[in-house]
Amino acid sequence: MTNKLKNSDKLKIYYTLKFIREAQNQIIKRYHPADKMKCPMHFCTGQELMPSVLSLFLKKQDSIYSHHRSHGFYLAKGGSLKKMIAEFYGKRTGTNGGLAGSQELSNTDINFYSGTILSGALSMAVGDAFAKIYKKENSISVAVIGDGGMEEGIVYESLNIASKMRLPALFICENNNYSTHTHLRERVINPKAFNKVKPFGIKCTYINHQNPEKLYSKLSQIITEIKKTKKPQFVEIQTYRFNGHVGPEGDDHFNYRPKNEIEFWKKKDPVLLYKKYLSKKFNNFKKLEKKFDLKIKKVIDAAFIYAEKSKFPKDFKRYNFNNTYSKVVKKFYKNEIKLFKEQEGHKPKPY
Amino acid sequence: MIKKKQRILSFSEAIKEAQTQAFKLDKNVFIFGQAVDKTGHVFHTTEGLLKKFGKKRIFDTPNSEQAETMFAAGAANNGLRPVLIHHRVDFMAYTFDELVNWISLWSFKSSGKSSMPLVIRAIIGRGWGQGPQHAKTLHSMFSYLPGLKVIMPSSPSEAKGLLLSSIMSNDPVIFLEYRALYNTKEHVPEKPYFIDLNEPRKRMSGKDLTIVSMGASVLTSIQASENLKSKSINVDLIDLRSLSTFNIEKIFLSVKKTKRLLMVEDGWSNGSISSEIITRVMETGIKLKKPPQRICWPNSHIPMSSVSEKEFYFDQKDVFNASVKLMKV
Repeated sequence: MTNKLKNSDKLKIYYTLKFIREAQNQIIKRYHPADKMKCPMHFCTGQELMPSVLSLFLKKQDSIYSHHRSHGFYLAKGGSLKKMIAEFYGKRTGTNGGLAGSQELSNTDINFYSGTILSGALSMAVGDAFAKIYKKENSISVAVIGDGGMEEGIVYESLNIASKMRLPALFICENNNYSTHTHLRERVINPKAFNKVKPFGIKCTYINHQNPEKLYSKLSQIITEIKKTKKPQFVEIQTYRFNGHVGPEGDDHFNYRPKNEIEFWKKKDPVLLYKKYLSKKFNNFKKLEKKFDLKIKKVIDAAFIYAEKSKFPKDFKRYNFNNTYSKVVKKFYKNEIKLFKEQEGHKPKPY
Repeated sequence: MIKKKQRILSFSEAIKEAQTQAFKLDKNVFIFGQAVDKTGHVFHTTEGLLKKFGKKRIFDTPNSEQAETMFAAGAANNGLRPVLIHHRVDFMAYTFDELVNWISLWSFKSSGKSSMPLVIRAIIGRGWGQGPQHAKTLHSMFSYLPGLKVIMPSSPSEAKGLLLSSIMSNDPVIFLEYRALYNTKEHVPEKPYFIDLNEPRKRMSGKDLTIVSMGASVLTSIQASENLKSKSINVDLIDLRSLSTFNIEKIFLSVKKTKRLLMVEDGWSNGSISSEIITRVMETGIKLKKPPQRICWPNSHIPMSSVSEKEFYFDQKDVFNASVKLMKV
């Protein structure tokens, strides 16, 4: 993997940044008054940098296990917007067949999984990474977690196991300072998550900028190292969500975030900053931008039409069990063995 | 009766054989948990596996039940067939988030596109002064969750077939082994075989009284039923095997015939499997000659001393007496 970013990749990153942003803005815009997407949604406007850059590195066999603010990572993993919107509509063509919604967006086809009970996904990524080693695959398992999720005990159990067993996992912590509306300062002694990870012998990187190209070269180095050493690494990125904790409505009327803090981060908007940078690099940038806008609009409109047209799921109860077996099970044995005297023993022995 | 040539295995040996054969049948099967590989060997059920198959297939973990459980989930999601072992079911209380919010609903929330082929083995129940934190069964709590198969074997031949099926099943299975059964023995066929996880087994046939039971209480019920023959009471005894996905038809048919139902269950009576089965039998409107009865543990935590233990647990005499009472006109 090269650290140098090709022009085409720069544009890919910019497109993904814009695509994630615009897709979410459109969902926020169309949520009401239509009221057809009836599930809680955790948007990630403002946090698009990490998924957009990460998307250049991941192949299909690499997996992502994400927190519930997952739209960006889902799209970055190559997830179909059509299936995502259909899922929000609760339609059977959705990623999860319309049974789970935004909070648990998952799609086996692209190895993307998420869930909303904070930290289980990170822990699951460790088991997935073990399977990759077990099957001698050269792919990695990515776990994405928030600063809130980093407060659960299971995280530290899992980090220990990943490090001890040398598993190819990339842990990404998106630190946006808030768990719902509670600031890190009110919650923890040490607000930098990576400081709690270091003692596990896991190499940590702290990213506190909004520069896609710098992030690209860092990630390139990290992922190469993980594949080479088969040891996990941890990346913490300082970021900020522009939308409310759970959308589509904003929640800044609760005044839990200082106005100057919001303004500070709005000035560091990753989409706008990169746009400004690229407009100076590419002579034909305006033309490119227009092309991107048109393409994005087309994709989003098509996704909503697809969701509208799709049907609702039927007979969801049958999905609780798979009721299938490995192919080694060909027939069942009818046990007719009679009991014998030996069994009258029924005396527990000390262990 | 035992034919001389028949191969006799203990419950522990049957479980060990199931795991050994599962290892050979599928290279993606592996076993892990706390202190499972070198010493103790979980009531001898994993003895020799490390030497035979190496540490890739069987290994120890730190004391991290939650992470172990999700480790199994992640590995299963990527195509492996993990077997996670807990020395006592009580430790599984740590892992309720993993069972409730992830594993049990994995197939559901993917609309059946994902599966979770994992087995969690846990030791349950009575044993020599184990007291309140080491002797629970918790089986009805697991059975409450849609999406989990909860299996409780009652004898060695059952244990082997049910464990092989559980490992090869594409659904998550909680496999509960009643501690008092490890020393029991019976004939166990040598070749690998699989038992339908949804089908209860008729253990004894009789026309007078239906007893439905599971795990070690099946053995208690068999002992009582043998003695009941002296009172000319013939028991139709059903071993549930699976506590969450059992086919209830067999029970309905039996109760229709005997018109009497006794549940025998090692576990608390509140919200028990017994409550569920009695409810479902009553819902069918089958006319019974006597109200259905259940023998369960009292709704209290489990005492340690052997004197209090004796008071807490039921035995075959209790099943015998309850049966005689049910038969009185």
